[in-house]
Amino acid sequence: MLVIKDLVKNYGKFKAVDNLSLNIGKGHIYGFVGANGAGKTTTMRIVSGLLKATSGYVEVAGIDIRKNPILFKKKIGYMPDFFGVYDDLKVTEYMDFYSGIYGVAKSDRKAICDQLLELVNLTDKKDFYVDNLSRGMKQRLCLARSLIHNPDLLILDEPASGLDPRARIEMKEVLKGLRDMGKTILISSHILPELAELCTSIGIIEHGKMVVSGTVAEIMAKVSSKKTLRIKVLEDIAVLEKFLKEQPSINSMSVHNDYIDAEFTGENKDMVEILKGAITKGIPIISFNEVDRNLESVFINLITEGGGDKNAS
Amino acid sequence: MQVNPVIEKELKTKMRGWKAPALISIYLGFLLTVIVLYFLFNNQMSYYGQGVFNPRVALNAYNTLAFFQLLLILFITPVLTGGSISSERERQTLDLLLCTDFSTFKIITGKIIVSIAHVMLLITASLPILGLVFLYGGIDLFDILLLFFFYIVVAIMVASFGTFYSTVFKKTIISIVATYLTIFIFSAVTAVALVVFYVLILNDHGTPSYSEFATFLFSNPFFGFGSIIENTTTRHSFFDIFTTLATGDSTEKIIIKSWMINSAFNIAVSSLLIFISARRIKPVK
Repeated sequence: MLVIKDLVKNYGKFKAVDNLSLNIGKGHIYGFVGANGAGKTTTMRIVSGLLKATSGYVEVAGIDIRKNPILFKKKIGYMPDFFGVYDDLKVTEYMDFYSGIYGVAKSDRKAICDQLLELVNLTDKKDFYVDNLSRGMKQRLCLARSLIHNPDLLILDEPASGLDPRARIEMKEVLKGLRDMGKTILISSHILPELAELCTSIGIIEHGKMVVSGTVAEIMAKVSSKKTLRIKVLEDIAVLEKFLKEQPSINSMSVHNDYIDAEFTGENKDMVEILKGAITKGIPIISFNEVDRNLESVFINLITEGGGDKNAS
Repeated sequence: MQVNPVIEKELKTKMRGWKAPALISIYLGFLLTVIVLYFLFNNQMSYYGQGVFNPRVALNAYNTLAFFQLLLILFITPVLTGGSISSERERQTLDLLLCTDFSTFKIITGKIIVSIAHVMLLITASLPILGLVFLYGGIDLFDILLLFFFYIVVAIMVASFGTFYSTVFKKTIISIVATYLTIFIFSAVTAVALVVFYVLILNDHGTPSYSEFATFLFSNPFFGFGSIIENTTTRHSFFDIFTTLATGDSTEKIIIKSWMINSAFNIAVSSLLIFISARRIKPVK
């Protein structure tokens, strides 16, 4: 559905996007993850036809953005990270206006708008002025707007940013609804665990470069060879530290007040040996467990590694 | 055929709230004040005394109204158009328009048409005041139609500049100021340039010819206005200045009148500015 090849965007000497490539299949939800200024929004604006790339190739549903930008835009529904609304319009008028902009026939507009407002749970607000909607409602209204022309690809730039927890959950539910409808979505967010739940694939971008890209399972597997052991002791943490330093399967560790997080690269049987050895030495262990690695920790891990990893896929 | 949604939306929202009725009220109030003061002043100063009708007063009243209406258009249109694109940018709605397949040309023309519609509403609303002058007679329907055509062309030119500047500058206030500056250059600076060239450089103190006026003042709306009111201007009145600009020292009938030259310039400049503005806001050219 979306093919990006060797995309480059330079602002003078600064490379905002550096040879970025990605491929999203039809019906897939691709989570675009990266710190602020990593190049997510720039990439999304290029794919939305709002920014010209310095070089590279972008194609949606087989249409090259440079060859047919108008047809290309028909295939895209874009929701920016920051956007405004026409406060002096009612919700139905707002939807009707954008229906006109997208060239929807007057006779079809009401049905389409009603359907979309229902999808984003705004049916009961349709006679409200946009000005009277909450931030979360405005976000959902903007999402409904981006769906008016039934685009092949939906680009959502931080759709949950600035929302309170309840509004985030509501937005998440709407996005799950879109996933179930089989929409192809490119979504960026800082709420990484939420992306893991929603997306079929993710890509982590840093300094304009794709650090890692693949399915959530692939990325988790890639970093799961490194496990973190958290060993909590009643006392004598220095003894535990000395003991762990002697273990060949422990790479590094961070010592806290009453526990140590140790990076472990061995097999399960090595883990058993460490536990046995510690008990034999009389170290008063309270707990010994492997720390769960969620997408958030994977992201932080990859970013702190300096973006040197190769793609998982 | 579908109505341009930008026009539909703008007309709907602009007429909501208190701003549109307030603008119409202020506009009509100003014109009414001008005409009332004019009649009061002329009755008191009249050679024939109070209560005696002088036909020239009616014609000059018409010209006064026409002149002030032109001034109002030159002052109001920049305010109506200065924010057409920059306000979309300021409230972060421009990207939502530009990411669609809706043409930037339609966005620009939509914005300009709405401002012209607003100006036309003001002009139409002023008809009853202009109608006061009709009570005295002496004004042809053609004069009125020509005057309205001229107003619209001038408004399109000013609106095109306002919209163009609003694509250039991020802040609405700067676009408005730039449009006023352009109007000032077109009207005052061209006139000063003419005077400087003839009086200071050529040391010629006579009335320049029509073609000489046209060379310097083709962009000047008051040059065009001169021929619009030539049928209703009486000799030695204030408005004789404008008709002199529109005729020069010529005693023969002028075929290509000053309003034609000025309107042709306005239409050409407006077309160019609309084209450039549409291209400027197009994100990927």
